[in-house]
Amino acid sequence: MPATNRSRNRALLDFVVLPFIFLTVALLGGLRIGAENGTFIFIAPPVVTLLLATLLMLLLIRGGLLRLHDWVSSDFPPLTNVAHIWMFITMFFASAQAFNSVLPERGLLHWLFSFFFLWTLWNNQFSSFDARRLLRSLTVLFGTAFVLKHMLLASLYSPEGGWLKRVAGTLLQGIALGTLDVPTFAAVTGYIAFFTLALYVAGLTLLAFAVNGETTVISEPMAHNHQQLSAAEPLAVREAILDDSRD
Amino acid sequence: MRQSRIIQLAGLGFTIAYAAFIVWIYATEPRTFKEVTTSAEVAAGTYEIDQEKFNSGLNFFRREQFRAARVEWQQADPAQRDARTQFYIAYSFYREGWGRLYFDQELFKQGVEAVNRAIALSSAGTLTIDDPDLHMHTAAELKAELEQGLERNWSDVNPLKVLRTRK
Repeated sequence: MPATNRSRNRALLDFVVLPFIFLTVALLGGLRIGAENGTFIFIAPPVVTLLLATLLMLLLIRGGLLRLHDWVSSDFPPLTNVAHIWMFITMFFASAQAFNSVLPERGLLHWLFSFFFLWTLWNNQFSSFDARRLLRSLTVLFGTAFVLKHMLLASLYSPEGGWLKRVAGTLLQGIALGTLDVPTFAAVTGYIAFFTLALYVAGLTLLAFAVNGETTVISEPMAHNHQQLSAAEPLAVREAILDDSRD
Repeated sequence: MRQSRIIQLAGLGFTIAYAAFIVWIYATEPRTFKEVTTSAEVAAGTYEIDQEKFNSGLNFFRREQFRAARVEWQQADPAQRDARTQFYIAYSFYREGWGRLYFDQELFKQGVEAVNRAIALSSAGTLTIDDPDLHMHTAAELKAELEQGLERNWSDVNPLKVLRTRK
């Protein structure tokens, strides 16, 4: 019975919850609210975010958060493979839109942020990661970008004059701050971006739990069987494993 | 196993529909929740103009209050999906922009845009409006008149032009 529940919950997570979370991120990642009249502004993901999402997907595969061979295989029924591929697609667009939500919309800062994201993701391709470290690293990456865009820059370019604008105005008297061309949005845009990123990280965390759960399902019976062995048998098993690995 | 399969199918169906909704939202770019519902009505084929607003606009139009008429018609047809309303909007641009000595180019340009929308929306191909107060009853006539008004040629300096009449 617990095995049935487990497979049912796993199916719900893989085929309903995760795609729904990632699609919601894809919906909200490009949503801004106009500062003047409070209207919706939908910004489709720029091409650079697709590149960033591709690098991030590669990183997720390298970090073990996405195990392609465990999810898509010729042994699985076609519907399962299609459903898993669909989940990867939703994850890809969610990643692109997560970047879209923390990238400045245009101007020099857009390219500066894009460059730093590219640099970080490219460097990470050559680092050793496990799923937990990768999740932590991504949370910090998106968190930093969120603080920079939706708190520091929003405050600096706020039409009402945010706290940072006043501080910068005092410190940098006579130096123009209007050369970087940053569009201003209503404060609620920051809340939407925060919710979007939180949802994205929550989706990845759920995915990590699913992957870890899978490992537990395989390893738990093995450990149990191992405990049932007599005193001499574990050594024989060890020898056999070593022989296999030598081959 | 069977339940997992049902979940797979239901999940796929539900999330594909949700993805289609997201693509549609980004393609139509509604600015308010009201526009979201209007666009949904258009997509579902249940969109109808606000007849009361349309009639109110018509009253303004007949009293030569063209701007007020356009405001009413824009509210009557917020999605710009009704050929007849777009025809009247174009006609109001024509009448407001028409002058004995010169035509207002900006208003005529907007008139051409509106009449093009009306033509594109008319399913039968030729849009005909049976209104005795109008001198032009088809979208094609109105479009030709508006485009003629935008052209610059030697006949513009003909003094007899002051004798022409507004349609």
